[in-house]
Amino acid sequence: MTTVRLVADNEWRLMRRSRVAQLALLILIALSVIATLTSIAHRDANDDLRARFQAQADQEFDGQPARHPHRMVHYGHFVFRPLPALAAFDPGVDAFTGSTIFLEGHRQNSANFGDVRQSSLLARFGQLTPAFVLQVLAPLVLVFIGFGVVAREREAGTIRLLSAHGVTAQSLIFGKALALGRVAGLMLAPAVAALLWLTFLEGAPIVAALGLGLFYAVYLAAWVLIIVIASSLARQARTALMVLLGLWATTVILIPRVAPDVALAFAPVPTRLETDIAIQRDLRRIGDSHNPDDPHFAAFKARVLKQYGVDRVEDLPVNYRGLLALEGEKLTSRLFDDYAERQFAAERKQGAIVAAFGLVSPAIALRNFSMALSGSDLDGHRRFLKQAEAYRFDIVQRLNRLQAEAVTFGDDSNRNKDPDAGRRVRIDPKHWHDVPDFAYRGATISEKLESALTGAALLLVWLVMAGFGVRIAIRRLEAAL
Amino acid sequence: MTGLLGHELRLLLRQRIAVPTLVLVLFLSAAAVWAGMAEVARQHDIIARIKPQQVEDVNAVRSWASKDGDAGNAAYYTFHATWDAPSPLAFAALGQRDVAPFVLRVRALALESQINEGENYNAEMALPGRFDWAFVLTYLAPLFLIVLLHDLKSGEREAGRLDFLRVSAINERGLWARRIGLRVGLIAGGLILPLIVGGVLSGAAAADLLLLSAMVLLYLLFWTGLCLLLSRRGMGSVANAASLAGSWLTLTLILPALALLAVNGAFPVRQGVELTLAQREAVHSGWDKPKAQTMEAFFRHHPEWRGTKPVEGGFHWKWYFAFQHLGDLSVADQVRAYRHGLEARDLWTERLAFVLPAIGTQYLAHRIARTDLTAQLAYQDRIRAFHKRLRSFYYPYIFNDVPFGEDDFGRAPLWLEDAEGR
Repeated sequence: MTTVRLVADNEWRLMRRSRVAQLALLILIALSVIATLTSIAHRDANDDLRARFQAQADQEFDGQPARHPHRMVHYGHFVFRPLPALAAFDPGVDAFTGSTIFLEGHRQNSANFGDVRQSSLLARFGQLTPAFVLQVLAPLVLVFIGFGVVAREREAGTIRLLSAHGVTAQSLIFGKALALGRVAGLMLAPAVAALLWLTFLEGAPIVAALGLGLFYAVYLAAWVLIIVIASSLARQARTALMVLLGLWATTVILIPRVAPDVALAFAPVPTRLETDIAIQRDLRRIGDSHNPDDPHFAAFKARVLKQYGVDRVEDLPVNYRGLLALEGEKLTSRLFDDYAERQFAAERKQGAIVAAFGLVSPAIALRNFSMALSGSDLDGHRRFLKQAEAYRFDIVQRLNRLQAEAVTFGDDSNRNKDPDAGRRVRIDPKHWHDVPDFAYRGATISEKLESALTGAALLLVWLVMAGFGVRIAIRRLEAAL
Repeated sequence: MTGLLGHELRLLLRQRIAVPTLVLVLFLSAAAVWAGMAEVARQHDIIARIKPQQVEDVNAVRSWASKDGDAGNAAYYTFHATWDAPSPLAFAALGQRDVAPFVLRVRALALESQINEGENYNAEMALPGRFDWAFVLTYLAPLFLIVLLHDLKSGEREAGRLDFLRVSAINERGLWARRIGLRVGLIAGGLILPLIVGGVLSGAAAADLLLLSAMVLLYLLFWTGLCLLLSRRGMGSVANAASLAGSWLTLTLILPALALLAVNGAFPVRQGVELTLAQREAVHSGWDKPKAQTMEAFFRHHPEWRGTKPVEGGFHWKWYFAFQHLGDLSVADQVRAYRHGLEARDLWTERLAFVLPAIGTQYLAHRIARTDLTAQLAYQDRIRAFHKRLRSFYYPYIFNDVPFGEDDFGRAPLWLEDAEGR
C-alpha cells in the first residue's frame, strides 16, 4: 500500500510541475465554476418567471367576470412546469420541452416556448452546465493529463528502474490510477459544491444529490482506469493518446448522436397534425355530436331521459346541454389519454433503445442516470403532460357541470335570442374561484431512483469492466518488466 | 510533379494510421449523408401522407357544416394544413427541423395562439444533436486532420529523418506543401464526395454545393493553419497532439457553449409567453365588450366591411371573427418584440460565425440548407400570409351573409406547394 501511495505522490508531483496539466485542470475547474454559477442563476430565474406567469394565469382565471360556463371552457387556463432544484445541476431536456400548456375544452394543445426552439443553432452545441462539464469535458481533460502516466515511464525506460526498486506492476498501476483519481477528485469538487448548495439552500432532495455525486465519481473513476489501462498497454505515449482520443470522440460525441437515429427508426412517432386528425376521426366513429342522428348521442339521450323519468330534455331538472358537454368531453379526453399513452409508449421504446447504447458509451448511461435523478428527464416532462391533461379534464368538467346545474336549459337555448336569458346564463364569477389551482407534483425520490436504475447499473458494469481491464494491464506490465 | 505526389501518396498510405483515418472520414461522411437523406425522405413522406388525411378531415366537416350553409361554422371548424418541405440540401444539415414543426394546421381564428404550437418529438432524442454531414464536418473532420498533421514534422524529427529530408529535398517548401496538401485534399475529398453524391441525388443547386465545398476547404485550411502554427513551436508529436486536441475542445465545445450563454442572456425572449397570455385576455374580453365597440374597432382595420348589415342579437360570427382578429392585433407590438429578440439571437450567432470557425460552418451549412432559426421564422411568415388569405376567403361569406355550400369548401385557399411549401 505504501508503494502505491509513493507512486501516486510521485506522479502527483510530476503533474503539479507540468504546466499543461495545470492549465488544463485550471480551465476545467474554472469552467465548472462558471457553469455552476450561471446554471443556478438560470434555473432560479426561469423557475421564478414560471411561478410568476403561473400566478398571473391563476389570478386572471379567478378574476374573470360573470360568464356562461362554456365561455370559461374556451377561455381555458395556462399551466407552467416548475423546474426542480437539481435542474440547475443537470437541466436535461428542459430547454427542449415547452414549459407551458394552454388548457381548453375539447382540445389538447402542445407544451410551448422551449428554449431551444427560441434559440439559434448555438443551442445545439450544448449548454454549459455542471453536468455537461463532467460528462463531456472532464474525461477529455483526464485523457490529456493521464495518457502518458505509464507509457511515458515505459518510453523513458524508467519503469525498469522502478521495478528494480521493488515497485510491482500492480502498485505502479494502482499508484498512477490514484494520482489521476486525485485529479478527477479536483474536477468533481465544484460539482460537489454545487450539489451541496442545491441541497441545503434550494431544497434539493439529499438522496438524489448524493446519488449524483456518487455516480459522477463512478463515471470519472471508470475513465481514470480506462486511461491507465490504455497508457500501460500502449507501447508509446502517442498511441495511448490516439486511442484514448478516439475512444472519447466515439463514446462521448459520436454514439450519443447516432443512437437516437437508430431509436427513431425503430419506433417512429406520428406528428401532432396526424394525431389530431386521427383523434377527430375516432371521435366521429364513437359519437359525432354534430350529427343529430348519431347513435351514441341518441342512446345517451335515451339513458338520461330514463334516468330522470321524463320524456323530453326540456323537462329535465338539469340543463341537458351541460350534460352533453360533459359526455362529449369524456369521449375526447379518453381519446387524448389513449393517443398520449401510445406516444409515451413509443417514446419509452426509443428511450430504451438509446439506454441500451449505454453498454458501449458510459456517457449515455451517465446522462440518463443524471437526468433521471435531477428530475429533468423526459419522464418528468411526461409527468407534467399527464398532470396537465388530468387538470384540464377536471376544470373543464367542473365548468360543464356548472353549465348543467347553474344554467337552465331554457335560458341556455335562448341565450342569443333573449337578452334576459343571455344575462341569466352568465353565472356568478365566484365559481371561478372555486376551481382549484394547478399544483404540479414532481417525481418522488423512489420514482427518480427507479428511472435512474438502468443508467446506474450500466455505470457499475463499466466500472467492473474497467476493473478487469486493470487486471489484464497489470499482467501485461508484469510480463514487460 | 504527379510523380512526386504519387510518391508522397504511397508514403502516406504506408503509415499505420493513415488508411484507417481516411477510410473512417469517408465512411462517417457517407453514413451521415445517408442518415440525413433518410430523415429528409421521412419528412417528405409525412408531408405526402398528411394531404389525403387532411382532405378526409375537411370532408367530415363539410358533410355537416354545409347543411345549413353557415359560413361561420365552416370557418370555425375547418383546419387548413401548411407544411415546410425540406430543401434539397436539408440532408446535410438537419438543423432545427426536429424541434420545430414542419407541418402545422391553422384555422381562420386568432393566429397568435396557433402559430407557436410545438411538435410531438422525443426531447431526449434531440438533446445530443443530430448525426448529419454538418456534424461530421464541424466536429469530427478537425480531429481527423489533427491525427494526420500533428506529427508531420515532429514525426520525421523523432524518426531522425528530418535533417536528411531537408538536405535531400530540392525544394523544402514544396515537400511540405505536397505532404500537407495531400492530407488535407484527401480528407476534403472524403467529406465533399458524399456531399456531392447526396446533393446530386437530392437535386441541390450546383452553386450551393460549390459553396459548401468551398466552406469545407476553408474550414480545413483553418485547422491546417492551426496545426502548422502549433507545430512551429518545435514540440514533440505528443505535445502537438495534446495541444491541438485542447484547441479543438475549446473551439468546438467550450467557446460555442459560452457564446450561447452570452447571446441568450443578452436577448431574453419571454415576450413569447407574455404575448400568448395577453392575446388570450384580449380575445376573450371580446365576449364582454359592447358589440358595436368591437365592430367599430374592427372596421378601422377592415373598412371594406363597414357597410355590411349590423350585428344583432346575442351572437353573430361577424362579431366573433372580428374580436378574434382584434385579439391578434392587440399584441402586434409584442409579437414584433418577440420576433426581434429571436432575430437578434440569430444575428449575433451570425456575427460569432465570423469569429469562431465551428460556429461559422454550422451557421453557413444550416443557412444554405434552410434549416436554421431564420428558416423557421420564414415558415411562420408564410403561415401568417396564408392565414391572411384564409381570413380574406371566409370574410365575404361571413360579412355578406352568403351561404357556404358544399362546393365552397373546395374553394378555400390551399397551401401552395412551391411558393409556400418551402
